[in-house]
Amino acid sequence: MGKFPHDAVVQLLVQLAVMLLAARLFAEIARRLKQPGVVGEIVAGILLGPTVMGMIEPGWFEALFPTGTASGVVLTGMVQVAVVMLLFVGGLEVDLHVVWQQGKTAIVTSLFGLVIPFSLGFIFPYYFPHFFGFADNYTVTIFALLMGTAMAITALPVIVRILMDTNLFKSKIGLLVVSSAMIDDVIGWLIFSLILGMIGKGGHGMPIISTVILTLAFTGIMLTVGRGVINKILPWLNKNLAWPGGILAFSLALCFLGASFTEFIGIHAVFGAFIIGVCVGDSEHFSERAKEIVHQFINNIFAPLFSVSIGLRVNFFTNFDPWLTLVIILIAFVGKVVGCGLGTLLGGATWREALASGFGMNARGAMEIILGIVALENGLINEKVFVSLVIMALVTSMTAGPLMKKFLSLPNSPTSTPVSPTPARGQP
Amino acid sequence: MAFSPTSEAMLAETIRLAKLFNSEVLLIHVGARTAEVEQRMNAMMAKCEALRDRVSVIWGSGDPVNVILDSCKKNHVDLLVTGALKKENLVQYYVGSIARKVLRKAGCSVLTIINPSIESVPYKNIVVSAEASPHVVDAISTACGFAPKDYSAWLHVVKEVKLYGLSMAAADQHTEEEYDDVRQGLVKQEIENVNEMMRHIPHEGVRINVKTVSGKSGFELSGFAHRKNAELLVIGAPPRRFSLIDRLFPHDMEYILADLPCSLLVVQPSKYRKEVGHG
Repeated sequence: MGKFPHDAVVQLLVQLAVMLLAARLFAEIARRLKQPGVVGEIVAGILLGPTVMGMIEPGWFEALFPTGTASGVVLTGMVQVAVVMLLFVGGLEVDLHVVWQQGKTAIVTSLFGLVIPFSLGFIFPYYFPHFFGFADNYTVTIFALLMGTAMAITALPVIVRILMDTNLFKSKIGLLVVSSAMIDDVIGWLIFSLILGMIGKGGHGMPIISTVILTLAFTGIMLTVGRGVINKILPWLNKNLAWPGGILAFSLALCFLGASFTEFIGIHAVFGAFIIGVCVGDSEHFSERAKEIVHQFINNIFAPLFSVSIGLRVNFFTNFDPWLTLVIILIAFVGKVVGCGLGTLLGGATWREALASGFGMNARGAMEIILGIVALENGLINEKVFVSLVIMALVTSMTAGPLMKKFLSLPNSPTSTPVSPTPARGQP
Repeated sequence: MAFSPTSEAMLAETIRLAKLFNSEVLLIHVGARTAEVEQRMNAMMAKCEALRDRVSVIWGSGDPVNVILDSCKKNHVDLLVTGALKKENLVQYYVGSIARKVLRKAGCSVLTIINPSIESVPYKNIVVSAEASPHVVDAISTACGFAPKDYSAWLHVVKEVKLYGLSMAAADQHTEEEYDDVRQGLVKQEIENVNEMMRHIPHEGVRINVKTVSGKSGFELSGFAHRKNAELLVIGAPPRRFSLIDRLFPHDMEYILADLPCSLLVVQPSKYRKEVGHG
């Protein structure tokens, strides 16, 4: 291993401390305003980054986050690892068992919730590419496909939080929305990875067709054979290694291996991490307690680092295009509300429940931002589109809860009741 | 009636059930009706003296699964009693043995016994799933009926806390106290759901123990039955028939079938029933 300069170590540690503290401070403010923590974390990044601190006190910004230094490179690497871990957690959240139990209704709902936003997100950028900041590096079709995918993705944790807050999580409509969002995420990330494969970035000169075939093969094999093999290994780990150390080390190592494989074949590392997350999370031997630990570890340490880093890399003021942002927000709302609403209506819900589900699934959260950042890094979009996508993710996440409650005629406040039950042995 | 080493014990179990529920017994044999088989069947019939004229034999040939299911349908059977291995190998699991195929496809309740006994062994620990099934109330009621009152039987009613890990992950914007409240609330909600259901089900003389589990409910239910050394696990029949895909992406019942922790009773009101049922 190479030597890391003493000054860079100090600088990196200060950077991490400032980022985590700022993220927590603003997440707490967001929490008190009954908003998702990710909103506060991104605002923290915007304040620390070139948009605010860089404009008011450029010297401070340059001192804290200097460009081209060893600490900057390491920080970028850590953020990259954070993104991979976030997608791993995203995969863990997908419960194929619950999806399968919901049956055809969930598939119909998710297809509507995927196809309509995807179509709207594809059509407008396809016919008006330059309005949408088409970067001209690739074909208009690929750009429009990317925008379609950006409109189709959902943020499962935000939806779950809203459903829990409204006591609807375990209801028929709640489970339908959750399982549909899970299907949308799997298909959405698969489409996105295929788009990355089509642009042929990386892949060590691998032909595009090979990348696409390898992507599909990786997905198919991991979700069937790979899932089975993992399911056979986990009981052995649980029995013979220290818990949760053994299972956590194994699952995260597998996550990084999957991520490195998909990065190697020319699609982004996030896809491999996501698929490995689905496989590991689906095992009956990966306990809910272990899932909780992974979630807490990643969501409270690595997720804030990623969220703050968004504001550090882009100037939200100079890259803000109000019309572009407005149009993207409109497409996002219409696509998801109409698509998911129709799908839920067909699933047997009332129109109020359907609208509530549409607004709930409209929440994009961190997933949208990850998609945006990968697209930006690969030159698929420019910084203006990225800023618009981030703002859209914030607006949709902030409005999802209140709008869902409005259509379900629920009071706009959390509902948690202190209780003292007697849990079963070895149970939650 | 396959005349396997456990056939006699299976018959003894069936006779006990027929006495308990005052039912008729149909013995189904699939295969050639040779003199030797008839002789063995007569020997079996002789063991059913206690049921007098309430026992009859159905002779069938062809695919055992189809013959058994057709016989149940034609004779309006309420409960099918079969024997099965505790665990199947990988090929059997995906292809399906006769017992498990019958269990997956039957239109009536099915009792699958893994360790039949000639001697009467009371059910001291019965585990019943309170999972959302169209027949969950039937399942719990039936389980109460199986619990012998004079043996201080325990009926463990098990309910899953669905998506527990995801729920707790979504609760990360709470203080420590609120976080604990969310955790306890998830458990309490499920316990209250079960208690509410039990208020409408007669269970005098049966000791009830409500438990919550998290994870894949079928897998956890099976594990719980194993830990409790239960003699009987009762579940409501799923709303649809299972296919191979249910073994690739297992349904709750498939986790149980993969390694039966004890005898399994899958409860559903018989689709074959006429006004007067048969046993």
